[in-house]
Amino acid sequence: MATSRDDFGIAIRSALLQRGARQKFSLFVLILISICIFALDNTQLKAVKSLRSLLNDGIYRLSAISSSPIKFTTASKDFFVRHVSIYEENEKLKGEIEELRRQELDNSYLQTQNKQLNAVVKLNEEFDFTTVSAKIMFDKNSPYLNSVVINKGTNSNIKLGLPVLSKGHLVGRIVEVNYISSRILLLNDLNSKIPVVISPNGDQAILSGIGKINPSLDYLPENFYPDDKNLVYTSGKDGILVPGISIGKAFMENNRIKVKLFTDPTQIFLVNVVLSKSRKPGKM
Amino acid sequence: MAINIKSFKEGFLRLAPLVLLIYICISEFHTQFYFWDIFSFNLQFIIIYYWVLRDPSILGYGFVFICGMINDVVLSLPLGTSPLSYLFVSLVAAYVRNATVRSTIFTDWFTFVVAILGGNLITYFLIKNFTILETEYVSVFYDSLFTFILYPFFWGIFELYKKIISLRTYD
Repeated sequence: MATSRDDFGIAIRSALLQRGARQKFSLFVLILISICIFALDNTQLKAVKSLRSLLNDGIYRLSAISSSPIKFTTASKDFFVRHVSIYEENEKLKGEIEELRRQELDNSYLQTQNKQLNAVVKLNEEFDFTTVSAKIMFDKNSPYLNSVVINKGTNSNIKLGLPVLSKGHLVGRIVEVNYISSRILLLNDLNSKIPVVISPNGDQAILSGIGKINPSLDYLPENFYPDDKNLVYTSGKDGILVPGISIGKAFMENNRIKVKLFTDPTQIFLVNVVLSKSRKPGKM
Repeated sequence: MAINIKSFKEGFLRLAPLVLLIYICISEFHTQFYFWDIFSFNLQFIIIYYWVLRDPSILGYGFVFICGMINDVVLSLPLGTSPLSYLFVSLVAAYVRNATVRSTIFTDWFTFVVAILGGNLITYFLIKNFTILETEYVSVFYDSLFTFILYPFFWGIFELYKKIISLRTYD
């Protein structure tokens, strides 16, 4: 018994302290350094923050460059697939034109509905957004965080918490700002919680990321059941996000009310960061 | 001249696992897929464990540490989280190398469980207790499970690669 404990001790000690085999550092020293770095990073000292910011900017640039072959491959594949499926797309488009013609008849009804909706969420009639455009440098998912990095930072007046739009719809908010880069926390991340309003009745809820592609709606009124008319907008109740930004459509899945986002978080390429809101002249 | 080319080729081939590890850490290379919902695995753990166990001269601990730091920056985790978990995986691999006389795929595979569980536990513990990030036990569990399941597949590929470059297994 004692011998086996000794053997274990010797093997562990050897693994921790022995360098050998062209190793320049022992595991023990590196583990100690890691603990020190972790402790320093958690102190939130200004100097450490600045250093981390510099490190982030440098590595994000390197990451963007090294990801270019992957991006090129994906873009080439998409291009090829698009060309191969051009006949199918043509048939699909014909069908869509027919559908649009039918929908034209309902146009007047939809306009009325739109006015009602705007009244509920106080949409762009009252506010103008000042935005800054940015490009996605890279996105990398992990079990811990669904986020993307953009190529604008404090140099473009981007600040923590600002909402980010893609094709006019909300996709997330800024959670990390460096000098020339920032990180967007996507709506489907576990850590994302956003106050929303649901049309046409103006029901209030919290849009929570669940780590899957579609986030869910929490704190809804009792007996709420989603239908095709339930569109989700930001409510601005937190005082940070601008009210009335479109997010998606509510639907039911596995006894849970989820939101089909208008912008697929895995497909975003260009985004607009909302820097500020201002009241349109003549509107009160 | 011929000798120089040969040594350059050998040196380049020996660097490939390290280059792959750095590339996975720094690039957009995804090991988590939305369309399969639960499927994700940690390729970094597999590479580190295999090469530290089978030939530590190819993958130095210093590089493992640097890759961890890069991974933390790219994934926006607190600095030091991934290095600690990667170094734990290296520690288990180094221990197994010291403790076993002749390793097989089965001994490697089953001791890898300890490395995965320990590595992910360290990351999970640090994130849960020292950050405001929310994490799901389930996704970490699936990540660990698929990493474990896929190990023999990568073991086969790496063994083949090792034979191609004619490396001697470290004693």
